Amino acid sequence: MGSEIYTHRNPSPDSPAHDGPLSGKKVVIQPNVAVRGWLCDAGSLALEGYVALEDATVVTRLRKAGAKLVGSSRMSELGFGLVGDTATRVLTAGEADIALVTDTMGEARIAAAGSGVFGFKPSFGMVSRFGLVGLVPSMETYGILGKRLEDVVDTFSVIAGKDMDDPSMPDEAFTAIPATREPLKLPCTAGVVKECLAILEDRERKAFQTGLARLEAAGLTTREVSLSEFDLFRVVHNVVASVEASSSAGKYDGVRYGHRSLSGKNWNDMYLNSRGESFSPLIKTFLFQGAYFQFENYPAFENACRLRRRLVRAVTDLLGVVDLFVFPTRRLEQDAPRAATINHIYDAFSLTLPANVTGQPSLQVPSLALHTGADLGVQLIGLRLRDSRLFSIALKLSSAAQGGSAA
Amino acid sequence: MKYEAVIGLEIHVQLNSATKMFCDCPNRPGDEPNRNTCPICLWFPGALPQLSQEALEKAVLACLALNCRIQPESAFDQKVYYYPDLPKGFQLSQHHKPLARNGWVDILGEDGGNKRLRIHHIHMEEDVAKLVHETEGKTPISLVDFNRAGIPLIEIVSEADMRNPHEAMEYVKTLRGQLRYTGSAECSLEQGTLRVDANISLRPRGTDELNTKVEVKNMNSIRNVGDAIAYEIIRQTECLEKGEPIVLHTRLWDPEKRVTAPMRGKFSGPCLPDPSVAKIVVTDDWLKEMQGRLPEMPAQKAERFLREYGLTPEEASNMSLERDLAEFFEAVLKQDLPSRKVASWIFTHLVPALRDRNQTIRETLLTAERFARLLSMLEKDLINAHAAKEVLLQLLSSGETPEEIVEKGRFRQVSDASELESLIDRILAEHPSDVADFRKGNAKVMGFFMGLAMKASQGKGNPKLLKEILTKRLS
Repeated sequence: MGSEIYTHRNPSPDSPAHDGPLSGKKVVIQPNVAVRGWLCDAGSLALEGYVALEDATVVTRLRKAGAKLVGSSRMSELGFGLVGDTATRVLTAGEADIALVTDTMGEARIAAAGSGVFGFKPSFGMVSRFGLVGLVPSMETYGILGKRLEDVVDTFSVIAGKDMDDPSMPDEAFTAIPATREPLKLPCTAGVVKECLAILEDRERKAFQTGLARLEAAGLTTREVSLSEFDLFRVVHNVVASVEASSSAGKYDGVRYGHRSLSGKNWNDMYLNSRGESFSPLIKTFLFQGAYFQFENYPAFENACRLRRRLVRAVTDLLGVVDLFVFPTRRLEQDAPRAATINHIYDAFSLTLPANVTGQPSLQVPSLALHTGADLGVQLIGLRLRDSRLFSIALKLSSAAQGGSAA
Repeated sequence: MKYEAVIGLEIHVQLNSATKMFCDCPNRPGDEPNRNTCPICLWFPGALPQLSQEALEKAVLACLALNCRIQPESAFDQKVYYYPDLPKGFQLSQHHKPLARNGWVDILGEDGGNKRLRIHHIHMEEDVAKLVHETEGKTPISLVDFNRAGIPLIEIVSEADMRNPHEAMEYVKTLRGQLRYTGSAECSLEQGTLRVDANISLRPRGTDELNTKVEVKNMNSIRNVGDAIAYEIIRQTECLEKGEPIVLHTRLWDPEKRVTAPMRGKFSGPCLPDPSVAKIVVTDDWLKEMQGRLPEMPAQKAERFLREYGLTPEEASNMSLERDLAEFFEAVLKQDLPSRKVASWIFTHLVPALRDRNQTIRETLLTAERFARLLSMLEKDLINAHAAKEVLLQLLSSGETPEEIVEKGRFRQVSDASELESLIDRILAEHPSDVADFRKGNAKVMGFFMGLAMKASQGKGNPKLLKEILTKRLS
């Protein structure tokens, strides 16, 4: 039932819930989200033919809210980077109103920026990961893509919230779930990180300035702030994510499911050959890197964890001074959908991965930062677990700024 | 040179919670292979582990029973290694932040004095699957049974405070007793619900060097723990005397040949914090509640038995080793019976009978109340000790009252003097030469006549009365 764009197409997407908040909305997911009876291979030969045994929590919640699950798009191997991802093609073809794209280092937001749609990465811990075939458990979360901000907000309200099946979710996250569609009335101030601007090319800087001007016109006050260790986000992400990936992918051994090599004299050979034949060079490189830090340079991993805590503190401190951050979303010089080496990927995702390191909510807003026809994308990044407040700010801005969808 | 052994033990104990550690599968590893499995313990894609509250509580009780300090915050790590017994390429264990630290147990040292052995820490971890190696025709095959995968374990890591096999055996015995008291674990070495790994190194006596250690596994009884350590001390001493270096490695105890043999190089993989299992945060209130659930421990109980029931220190200590038996003892004493006599009956008759039947007291039909009524009949001379033993055996598997068994089995003691007199007269008439012997001064013959008289009365004669009559007739 697959195609060039779909891994699986749902022959009967209608939901019995006709009066739910997502009633009639068409949703496309990725094949790393478990839906009972659907192929769930996370874009990897390591999960070749694996059919999910039960529904992920988000799937149960989407269906209950009346959403129509149209199918699963194609995705990059294990959701790392965007090579081969077709979620936005489904959206722009009008075959879905909402797409879920796993956001491990900014995949959802970069894909959204490239297609001129909204892309939201919730706070870490706001959406259950039960049934998500993930790679980097401490950073990944479902990203929500949509042409209309209201659809994104409604989808978030449906899928977010305490789930007993995911014990890693913090209890305090769910006091303010019903994401408000009320625009925030208070004046608010956004911080523009100096060190983040410093890496932009001329064309990118101009586009970003245009975006900022539009936001200011809509009532946002901006001020420059400094995050002196901004360049550490990338290295911290790289070390921690590769180590977690190496651990998470340890279960792909060809024993219970997935591709099993036909060669090999004993179980050890079978492991090595099955894994060797399953993973692409990109994933292999990433896993090797993680294994290196696990087995050969553990202190570097510990340092990365320490730095991560320091970055979280620095960002939280700054958010006591400003209400949110405004970041550009993507690098125009980097072709993210084709980035297929570790370095290339980290270059292309350098502006989105900080929110994965800190677990903050980040909303990519289209059509603001335009320059000579290109949309750089703007991210609004708020305090972790205060996703609703970020939406209020976004609604206020998008109702005023040109380009945001009408509230 | 004189060497001294430095011994530390790592003990894995399976907790007896109803479910596995991170899923709802039953904790029954002995069931038909791979019956007790689910997407979580098989680690299918998308599964997330959920720590069982019961397993946590049982682990905490075990730690408290071993005098450990529960840590305010503990967390799980991924212990990475690749082997078919691990479905996910890592084992969930607590490496960086264990559940409890700084415990101890007191043992009786070889010199009879008290010795305190320290526990470094106790952490929780999940058990791994069981590998079964068979052959199919001529092809060797390996099968994996995941029933055991994910069963909750605690690992108790001692300090290297032990110096000889005796101390190691006493440590295991004491620790096992205390853990069983909590009801958290069965602790059977034979069945593998308690597994001992011993780390042994030698150093010149009188120094405090810490030398390369060797790990020994696969001891399935406390005696084997002692024997394996004793063997290893001799083996390492011989190595050192020959000038061979000790290399870090693991050895397996072979209970048949009674030797240790090298197994594999010691592998230590990395341990990284697991991002999915929730941290364990212990509040003071909860800890207080758990402490309240801790029963009276063997040492406290022994002291009380000494004080309240006048048992000797040895009796008091033995009587408190097993919680079931200690509670049985106290329940029997509610019937106002002499405490030392009850203790003696439990040790000399009840415990051996249980051992013969390979049962615990709970598994029999005997209750404290029925045992007490049996001993009351003995106290009142209604039956003799010989008959009481017989009745006791029947009480273990019969629901009848002791009185009914006594009546039915005609165990009631014969205290009718005339009946016993005629019985003795007959015996004496049949053994004139022995009578003559006795009168010549051979006092031992008295015992011979007593034996014949008991036999003739089918074990029911009142021994006191029999002896009186015999003495009278022979004088």
